[in-house]
Amino acid sequence: MSAMASGRFLRSALAAIALALAGVVYGFPLYWLVVTSLKSKGELFASTVHLVPHNPTLAAYTSVLIDRGFLVLLKNSVFVCVSTVVITLATGLLITYPITRLPLPARLRVNVLTWALSLRFLPPIAVVIPYFAIVRTVQIYDQPIALIGIYSLFNLPFAIWMLKGFLTEIPLELEDAALVDGASRWIAFWRILLPLAAPGIMAAGIIIFTFAWSEFLFALILTATPNSQTFPVGVQGLVTQFEIIWNDMAASGVIAMALPLVLMIIGRRYIVAGLTFGVIREK
Amino acid sequence: MNVLPARTSSVRVGRRRLSRDERLGYLLILPSLGAVFVVVTIPFVLVVIQSISSEDGTLIGLRNFTRALENPLLYDAIRATAEYTVLVLPVEILLGLSFALLVHRTVLRPGLRAAIYVLAILPLVVPPVAIGVVARLIYAPGYGVLNVILERLGLMHQEVNWLGDPTLAMLAVASVDVWQWTPFVYLVLFSGLQTVPRESVEAAQIDGANWWAQFRYIDLAYLRPLFVLIIFFRLADVLRVFDHVFILTGGGPGTTTQLLSLYMYRVEFKFFDAGQAAALAVLVLVSFSLLYSLISRALPLERA
Repeated sequence: MSAMASGRFLRSALAAIALALAGVVYGFPLYWLVVTSLKSKGELFASTVHLVPHNPTLAAYTSVLIDRGFLVLLKNSVFVCVSTVVITLATGLLITYPITRLPLPARLRVNVLTWALSLRFLPPIAVVIPYFAIVRTVQIYDQPIALIGIYSLFNLPFAIWMLKGFLTEIPLELEDAALVDGASRWIAFWRILLPLAAPGIMAAGIIIFTFAWSEFLFALILTATPNSQTFPVGVQGLVTQFEIIWNDMAASGVIAMALPLVLMIIGRRYIVAGLTFGVIREK
Repeated sequence: MNVLPARTSSVRVGRRRLSRDERLGYLLILPSLGAVFVVVTIPFVLVVIQSISSEDGTLIGLRNFTRALENPLLYDAIRATAEYTVLVLPVEILLGLSFALLVHRTVLRPGLRAAIYVLAILPLVVPPVAIGVVARLIYAPGYGVLNVILERLGLMHQEVNWLGDPTLAMLAVASVDVWQWTPFVYLVLFSGLQTVPRESVEAAQIDGANWWAQFRYIDLAYLRPLFVLIIFFRLADVLRVFDHVFILTGGGPGTTTQLLSLYMYRVEFKFFDAGQAAALAVLVLVSFSLLYSLISRALPLERA
């Protein structure tokens, strides 16, 4: 009995140590990012490196957002991401509503889903090469619309799989009852299905927003000026061109992380479902 | 899950309404699918044309392909990508599995589990570019904090140039991937462990099975399809890695961390060799479709 109890104690002690260690390894890089972003320019070149903040200051943040004008890039990012979310969700609903609620052949449904999944395997770099040529030809290079288009396309597979999951969970009987009572398909969709599916649609929107927010390769290639550059492109510029001022670099990293982290707290129950196309459902 | 047969056989739905619904269905789905199909297909067609043309648009057959395949840098890129994959996938799967088992077996308080869940999804939503910045703050020569820490701990007495040495640079780049994606593996496997029925675990414990036997004969059976899933998604991601490597090493030193996507970026946008880049894109697309059709068959996804 006591051997078992001490064995259990030893096990949970070891587990606690392992988890704490993982916590440190995971937490420290983020901690260091924040600490660095709070340093003043003078502190960067001090002879001893402080691992805890001395005289924290927000100077790096104002320097990034105001002096370097990154506020505009933030605005571009928000605009591109919101547009992407709206277009992707609308297209996703136009595709998933018929295959889940209307009597279309099951084969069509399966084909749409498999095809959407195959798009997930598409390597962006192979697509961006021809897409770049198209964007130049139709003269939308360095315009937000070029990014919105490609982001919507690349996020559509997620949207289709997630919306499909949420829509099939809502019983058909609810709509049928309204239809029998003489409501039109549109009313049944708008007044019954949409409110019921709203939490799921919101979650899908949050995830798509986060993905679009993080995207870098397309943004790097398809934009050139603050007219359409998104925030990650600005961050990269700080690294490659002004690396010497690494508190600004750190501050831009913190800003880039902030919004997705806040959104993630709201949509946390759906993140894993989204990343695995709904195979994994968190309670 | 298959809703459609139930609906068509439903008595409440009359023939007329049904056909109208069908028509509505096609009316909604065909234009959107068609639009997406066109948008996806145009680049494909274009890239094929580009791959068999020269700069001025004349058709030159497969010359771009032979140039692409004869370029030794391509094989450097393939080797780097293979090294990266081989480094990253087993480590992430082993670490993720260990932590999933650890938390599943030893952390029983729901509050703590929920906290671990939130911490684990944190890295998944952080922009890879920002993670690249974090990695520079750790590894970069001059201001990287790793050297400072190792020195304070007395483990090291002279600066290590983490990003200047081929082996260390590859390890640094891989460590960032492990940092960001091990939690994903953990989350998938942990939720898989939740589906293991309590009765079979209890029965095994009564029979005196130790933890390894429990894992080997019970848990693993439930996790097996999830491994396929993880390998599918991680492989798709690893082969498209760009952001954090671009920020951290830019492919260097030399071409040691120049993964396939970084190489293709360079061919198109630094060497301005559109023909060769298009040929590479076609090659990549073809090999990826083959890879996809091989691996997707094994996926435990709901299909209908």
